[in-house]
Amino acid sequence: MKHVIVIGGGVAGMQCASELLRQGLAVTIIEKEQDLGGKVRNWHKLFPTFTPADEVLSAMRHRLKISNNLKIRTGCQATTITANSVTLCSGEELKCDATVIATGFTLFDAQIKEEYGYGIYDNVITSAELEQMFNENNVHLAHGGTPKRIAILHCVGSRDEKVCQRHCSKVCCVTGVKQAIELKKLFPAADVFNFYMDIRMFGPGYEEMYREAQTAYNVHFVRGRISEVSPTFNSQLQIKAEDTLTGRPLKMSVDMLVLLIGMKSNEHNITLRNECNLLAQPSGFMQPQDSFIGNVTSNVDGIFYAGTITAPKNVGESINEGTAAARAVIEWLNKH
Amino acid sequence: MTFFAKFCIPFIIGETVLFTVLAIKYFTWLRDLPKKDWKLIITNFFSLRSISALGEVISESLLHRRIFKVNPRLGYMHMSLAFGWFLLIFVGFLETIAYLGLRWIPLQGHVFFKYFVPLNGISDHIPAFDFTMDLLLLFVLSGVAMAWFKRIRSRALGMKKTTKHTFFDRIALSALWFIFPLRLIAESVTTSMYGGGSFLTGSIGNALSNILSINTLTHIYEPAWWLYSLALGTFFIAMPFSRYMHIFTEIPLIFLRHYKLQPEAKEKSYDNFEVEACSRCGICIDPCQLQSQLGINDVQSVYFLRDRRYNMLQQKIANNCLMCGRCEQICPVGINLNTLRLNSRSSMRNIPHEGRYNYLRGVDKSFGAGKVGYFAGCMTLLTPNTLNAMRSIFEAAHEQVWWADKDGGVCCGRPLMLSGEVDSAQKMIDYNKSLFAKHQISTLVTSCPICLKVFREEYQLEGIEILHHSEYILRLIKQGRLKIGYQHDATFTYHDPCELGRGSGIYNEPRAVIEAVGKLLEPTHNRKNALCCGSSVANTAISDAQQLTIATKVASELEATGAQAIVTACPLCKKAITRGTQQRVVDLSEIVAQNIKQ
Repeated sequence: MKHVIVIGGGVAGMQCASELLRQGLAVTIIEKEQDLGGKVRNWHKLFPTFTPADEVLSAMRHRLKISNNLKIRTGCQATTITANSVTLCSGEELKCDATVIATGFTLFDAQIKEEYGYGIYDNVITSAELEQMFNENNVHLAHGGTPKRIAILHCVGSRDEKVCQRHCSKVCCVTGVKQAIELKKLFPAADVFNFYMDIRMFGPGYEEMYREAQTAYNVHFVRGRISEVSPTFNSQLQIKAEDTLTGRPLKMSVDMLVLLIGMKSNEHNITLRNECNLLAQPSGFMQPQDSFIGNVTSNVDGIFYAGTITAPKNVGESINEGTAAARAVIEWLNKH
Repeated sequence: MTFFAKFCIPFIIGETVLFTVLAIKYFTWLRDLPKKDWKLIITNFFSLRSISALGEVISESLLHRRIFKVNPRLGYMHMSLAFGWFLLIFVGFLETIAYLGLRWIPLQGHVFFKYFVPLNGISDHIPAFDFTMDLLLLFVLSGVAMAWFKRIRSRALGMKKTTKHTFFDRIALSALWFIFPLRLIAESVTTSMYGGGSFLTGSIGNALSNILSINTLTHIYEPAWWLYSLALGTFFIAMPFSRYMHIFTEIPLIFLRHYKLQPEAKEKSYDNFEVEACSRCGICIDPCQLQSQLGINDVQSVYFLRDRRYNMLQQKIANNCLMCGRCEQICPVGINLNTLRLNSRSSMRNIPHEGRYNYLRGVDKSFGAGKVGYFAGCMTLLTPNTLNAMRSIFEAAHEQVWWADKDGGVCCGRPLMLSGEVDSAQKMIDYNKSLFAKHQISTLVTSCPICLKVFREEYQLEGIEILHHSEYILRLIKQGRLKIGYQHDATFTYHDPCELGRGSGIYNEPRAVIEAVGKLLEPTHNRKNALCCGSSVANTAISDAQQLTIATKVASELEATGAQAIVTACPLCKKAITRGTQQRVVDLSEIVAQNIKQ
C-alpha cells in the first residue's frame, strides 16, 4: 500500500487526507498543534454566510474517518521534506511515497506596525483576537464596558511595502465587513468604521454582504489608511487618518480598534526553499508549477501543495485544493 | 647653453597647456566666490591659519598621512609617488644650482638636466647628488610598481573595489605609469655613454654599455629622451581634465578650508575646489553599504563627484545615497561629501507650487507650558513605545514638559533638506522656531536624531539648549533626578544612528545611559564606523526590499553580540532594524523607563 504524508492538519490538509484515504492509500498527517483544524479552529463564523466555523470543522473531522490507514502525529513539526521522506523536529525520519505540504500561513505580527499601538494601548486588538472574543461571547473593552465607537483597519501587514508585505491577503476585506456586521449585531448603538484602501469583494455573496453592511447595518466606510494611534486622556484611542475621497485629514476618537492582520508566509518556507529545492515566490509563499493546470504541484516530483502554502485563499478554496492535491498525488503515484 | 632640443617639444606643449588651464580654472573659481567667502579669505590670509594650512599641505598633499591612517600600504603608494616626485624635482633643482649656479634655467633644463649637462661636461662632480637622485627614483618606482600591482590585484593593497576610470583618467594614468620607467631608461642610456649615475642608473648604464655597442646606444639615446618627454607631455595635457587635477587643487583647497570656507546648502563656486580635489582613490567605495550589500556600483561619492565635475550628474545617482557619512568619515581629502550631494540635489529639485505650504497657517493648536519642550518628531509618533517611555521619564524626574507636537505638529524640515528642498524646509523651520519662541522654552529635547541635527545646525535657537534624549536622560541620572535600578543579568547591544553618531558626534551619552541599566556589548562596527540601518530618509531611490537587505545585515551583526536586546536611539533605526530581526529592538528610553526606581 502506498503511503502519503500530509504536512499540516488545517482544512486543506484534512480534506486532502480524507480523499487519499477514500482512494485506499495510507496517510500520515503531521500537525504542529495539539489538535487538527488549523486557523479555522480559532475562528467564529465564516463569511459570507455566517456559517459557524465549528460546523465546517466537525464536518471535516467526520469525513476524516478513523481507520488503520490513518496516522495523526500532533504536536510535531516537519523540517526537511523530500518526495520520499519527512524529517521531524525530533530528528525522526518518516518514509513515504509522496508528500503534500499544507502548512498554510502565519498571521502578521501587528506589533511590527508600532504606530497602531498594538501591545501598547488597551483596546487595540487583532481580527483574530476579535474572533476569539466572539467565540467566548465576550466582546468588551479592556476595563469592562461596551464599545460605542469601533474602527476596523484594513490591510495591516498586507499591501504594505514598509513591512515588506506587498501582496494582498485577499480575505481581510470580507472579514472586515463580516466582523463589522457582527459587531453591529452585538452593539446596535455603536458606530463602526472600516478604514480601507480598496474594498475587494471577489467572491459570491461578498459584494451583497458589503452592500448590506451599509444599507441594513449602517456600517461606515472611509477610504484611507490610519497613520497613527495615540491614547486620549479618557483612555480612548485617537486615530489619525486621511479620508482620500474628500482629500482631508481626519482625527477621530474610538473605543476599540480592530486590526485586520494579513497573511504572511511561514518562516518554514525559507527552509523549504533553501534545503528542499522548492521554489518560492517573492512574497515568500511557495511557487506552484503553474497557476492554471499545475497549481497543486511543486517543482519537485512527488511533492504537492494544498491550501494557503502557495497564496492567501479563503476556506472554501483551501478545501478544494485539498481535493485537487489528493487527485494529483494519486495520478502521480499511478504513473510511478 | 640653450637648454633646448627637439625632444623637449612634447614636454613644453604639455607644461604650457597644463599651466594655462590651471590658471583659467583657478581664476574663474576664485572670481566667482561669493563676497562672504572673499571676506573670509582676506581676513584670514595674514594669520596663523596660513601657516597651519601650509603644514597640512605638507602632511596631506605630500605625505598623505590620512591615507596612511586608513590603509598603510595604500598610503605608502600615494606618498612614494607624490612626495618622491616632489623630492626629485626639489633635489633636481638643487643639483642644477650646485652645478650651474643660481640663474634662470627654463623648466625643461631642470627636468632633462642629465641630457643637457652630462657628466663629462661637469668639472666638479658631486656623487652625492647621483646617489640621492637614484634613491628617490627608486622610491617613486616602488610606488609605480605598487600601482601596477593594485590594478591586477586590488585586494593586495587592502581594497576590495577600485575606481572605474574615465577616458582622460586612463590616458593620464598610462602616461604616469610610464614616466618614471622611461626616465630610468633615458638616464641609464645617458650614463652608459657619458658615465655618472649611482647604484641604479649607474649600474644599469654599465650593464647597457657592456651588452650594447656604442653605435646602438647612440641610436637609442635620442629616442629614449623623446619617449620620456612624450610621457610627461601627455600626462600634463591630460592632467587638468583627469583625476590628477587633485594634485594641485588640494593645495588651494587646504588653504581655503583653513580660512573657514565650506560648502553650503546651495551650490557655489567654492564647491569646484572640493569637487576637483577628489583624486578618485576609491577609498569611499568599500565602506558604502549600497555597494557591499546591494551591489550598486555607480553611485558612490567618487562617481557622484566625477559625474558632477563633468556635468553629467543624473538625479538617480544624486538621490541614491543613504547620507550615512561612512565615506565622508574616511575620505582622505576630507571632502564634505554629504553637503555637496545635498546642494546637487537642491539644484536638481523640482520647484514646488507656491501654495503648497499654505496649510501651515492654522496648524498651531498647541497648548500647555513648561521650561522643557519635548519634540517627538514624526518617527517617534510612529513608535509610541518611545513616547510612553519619555512620559514615564518626565514624570519620574518631575519635569514640567510642554509637548510640542503630540497633537499634530509640523515636520522639523530635515527630510526636505535631505532631498534638496532647502526653501521648503525653511518654511518648516520658521514655523517651528516661532512655535518654540511662543512657548518660551529654555530646553528642547527630542528623541529623533534627524530632528536634532536640523535643530542644532539650521534653527539658530538662541537661548534654547537643544538636547537629544540620550543627553537629557544622562543629565537627569547625573543630577540624581532619575534613579535607575541596575540589572545585573541584562545585556544590551547598541546601534549608533548615523545622524546621531557621525552626524552630531554623540557616541558616549547613549552608551553611558545603557551602562546605567545593564551590560553593554559592542558590535563589530561601532561609533565612527557604525553601519547604517538602511532606511535613511535621505535615500529615495532604493526599494523597501533593498532597505530590508541592509537592515538584515546590520541586525545580524548586532545579534552576533549575543545581547538580549538591541538598543538604538533613533526611531527610524528602530523601525528599520525591527524589520530585519526576530530579536527585541528597543529605544534607549524604553529600557530606562522600565527600570526606574521610585
